[in-house]
Amino acid sequence: MKKYLALLLAVVMVLALGACGVSTEQAAAPAAAPAESSSDSAAPAASGSGIRLFNGKIEIATPLEEAAKAYEAATGKKVEVESLGGGVDLQATLKQYYQAGNMPDIFVFEGKPDLANWTGMVVDMSDQEWAKDTDAGFVDDTGALVGFPYTTEAIGLAYNKAILEKAGVDPKSITGPESMKAAFEAIDAKKDELGLTAVIGYCANATELYWSTGQHLFGQYLDAGLARDDTTYFDMLMDGGKLDLDRFTPFAEMVGLFNQYSDPALLVSGNYDMQVSGFAGGKYAFVTQGSWIGSSLTNDYKDLYASAGNFECGYVPYAFIEGIDTILTNAPSHWAVYKDGNVAEAEEFLNWLAGPDGQKIMVEQAGCVSPFKSCTAVATDPFAGPISEFASAGKTSAWHWMGQPSNLAQDFTGAIFQDYAKGDIDTQGFIDDMVSTIPQCING
Amino acid sequence: MDENTTGRKILSLVLLILGLVLLAAALWMDITKTYLVVDLGVKVALRGLFLVLGALLILAGLYYIPTVMHHRTIINIIFLFPLLFTFAVTVIVPMFVGVFYSFTDWNGVSYTRMVGFENYAAMFKEAAFIWSLLLTVLFVVINMLLVNLVAFLLALLCTTKLKGVGFFRAAYFLPNLIGGIVLGYIWQFIFSNVLTTILNSPHSALASTNTAFIAIIVVYVWQYAGYIMLIYINGLATVPKDVLEAAQIDGANDMTTLFKIKIPMIAATFTICTFLTLTSAFKQFDVNLALTNGVGTVRNFMGQRLSNGTQMIALNIYNTAFARDMYGYAQAKAILFFIILATVSLIQVRISNKREVEM
Repeated sequence: MKKYLALLLAVVMVLALGACGVSTEQAAAPAAAPAESSSDSAAPAASGSGIRLFNGKIEIATPLEEAAKAYEAATGKKVEVESLGGGVDLQATLKQYYQAGNMPDIFVFEGKPDLANWTGMVVDMSDQEWAKDTDAGFVDDTGALVGFPYTTEAIGLAYNKAILEKAGVDPKSITGPESMKAAFEAIDAKKDELGLTAVIGYCANATELYWSTGQHLFGQYLDAGLARDDTTYFDMLMDGGKLDLDRFTPFAEMVGLFNQYSDPALLVSGNYDMQVSGFAGGKYAFVTQGSWIGSSLTNDYKDLYASAGNFECGYVPYAFIEGIDTILTNAPSHWAVYKDGNVAEAEEFLNWLAGPDGQKIMVEQAGCVSPFKSCTAVATDPFAGPISEFASAGKTSAWHWMGQPSNLAQDFTGAIFQDYAKGDIDTQGFIDDMVSTIPQCING
Repeated sequence: MDENTTGRKILSLVLLILGLVLLAAALWMDITKTYLVVDLGVKVALRGLFLVLGALLILAGLYYIPTVMHHRTIINIIFLFPLLFTFAVTVIVPMFVGVFYSFTDWNGVSYTRMVGFENYAAMFKEAAFIWSLLLTVLFVVINMLLVNLVAFLLALLCTTKLKGVGFFRAAYFLPNLIGGIVLGYIWQFIFSNVLTTILNSPHSALASTNTAFIAIIVVYVWQYAGYIMLIYINGLATVPKDVLEAAQIDGANDMTTLFKIKIPMIAATFTICTFLTLTSAFKQFDVNLALTNGVGTVRNFMGQRLSNGTQMIALNIYNTAFARDMYGYAQAKAILFFIILATVSLIQVRISNKREVEM
């Protein structure tokens, strides 16, 4: 009897161990034989057939899936799109995937600090077709083209054209701090008549929007008005956290102006949804968000946007010094191809996406501004027009905040913007705190 | 053991050697990344097969070792093996790997050098970390008192003969069933939108360090008191009726009964509850993350201006790893955290055990 019991237990153990074994085998199989197992698996991510794309821009998740479907219809090859974003720590998620042996074939990264994690693990794509068609690709320190640009984004002070017209304010007249103040005052005076809650939708909530203040707005100090390859202020920042007070003081005053004219309900305790939906609904004449809100206007807040009359949008530069006349445009992040993944199919997909069929979806549905010269598709995105206006006039600057330490905004500057918005500190206090705090981060 | 010992010896040896060879082969395949695949209807990678077969053969070999003295021990080990193995893989090995990583500059993907005790030295010079540590201690002390007090009072309330006690028990317990992140966002809405409207204040309590800290405590007590309450209710139910009756006959009023009879009788429950609140408050993470994400200004601490005024130690460790890409450093902090937690828990259990009444 005992023997049978032992036998039974042994069998159970064998089965249990066998079950463990099988699952590891499945995971190991694609790495083992990418060439031969090209048709038999149901899960594309775990087999040689199909690729997985890790998208960091949740706003374009649906159009990207459309693109993947179109690609599958055209070539029969599967692309699985995994979209994360909106404050999710993408690189942390990627690292977990890496540790778990579950790396996507194409993944998103933002600038050098992110890429530093993946040194030697990404593919040089300089030989790809799309590379000849753009100069927005990401080139690393060794000269290898490792980042595929999937869109161009812009950061400027976005405005609601209909409201500005009604208020009799010409956006072209905003060329410096005085004219910006005058415009704000003019709109503020007619606030009730225009149905506005506040002149500007600016939110400094450090818990939720540290990236908007500490990265995008602060990025204006670093780059606004400069030539695309000018990194003067960024270099100063990275050299021990120095700020040029001649430039930073007027910047601080502009932020002060935003504090004064923003919606008090939004300013400190609001969130991204409130800010964007408020602008879409015509409650703010200006908003301190970049071109990515365009697709939110036409998709998520479609009804609100329609009720506000589907107004036209535009950009004015963040002209905190008289004469600043550029908005910042850049590829917000790039896609890299993982060396040990399904490289051939990933590259094939990227080439397709950069081609006319792919760009048509990316531009018309995702509202992306194409970084590819050959692209002829015209976006319906409300910000596409203004961006190309600035671009064709050569009035764009690059942005470099992506090179700043990854926790600068989250752990250091975001809270200072919030304190300033709350009124705990005045303009001088804001400047002093920035000057004393930033070096703590830069110098580790 | 009456079987032919030479036969058993050979069998055992053969099995052991074969098993070891298979294991070695699997290891070799893993290191050199030569994956052999055979097609048996489904494709099977030989590495995994070798590994499993090798392990089984070794176990069988151990079973047939011709010894009377140690046979029972060997059998015990074989039967314990699956559990021990799982425990080792999920707890013991990661712990040692973690200790190892704390001495490197690991960034989550790879490490370039060993840094010795640099990580451990650096954390005591980092004002933000010291702040988090002190804040956590304060949080733990306040919460341990508040949660237990509130929970005990609720338990007393829920053991009376009021109508609808069952409903109140469930209602108080309910917050505990909601995940911390969800709860954090619900309360964030309450603090940022509801309370600002009711109190007509320009910004929410979460925007200032002091009030945000109080907010976290409120939410935490709200979440945790119901759970602890259930344990106290359970404890109160174990107080023998005859003792209570005797007290009543002796003319003890409710207060005296509570302090002289009930509380001493359920000292063991107090131990469990303080222990639970202590460790869980120490590990506070999700509500902290969702409610403030650690944001808060501290004007001057150790000569620095801090922006992580409401950041507890667990969140500090998390951010060190994931926002700053310093996984090795975060690992060192986590080890310190572990040591503190283990020490405090041990001391606490020792002290509480002395107070317990023998039944």
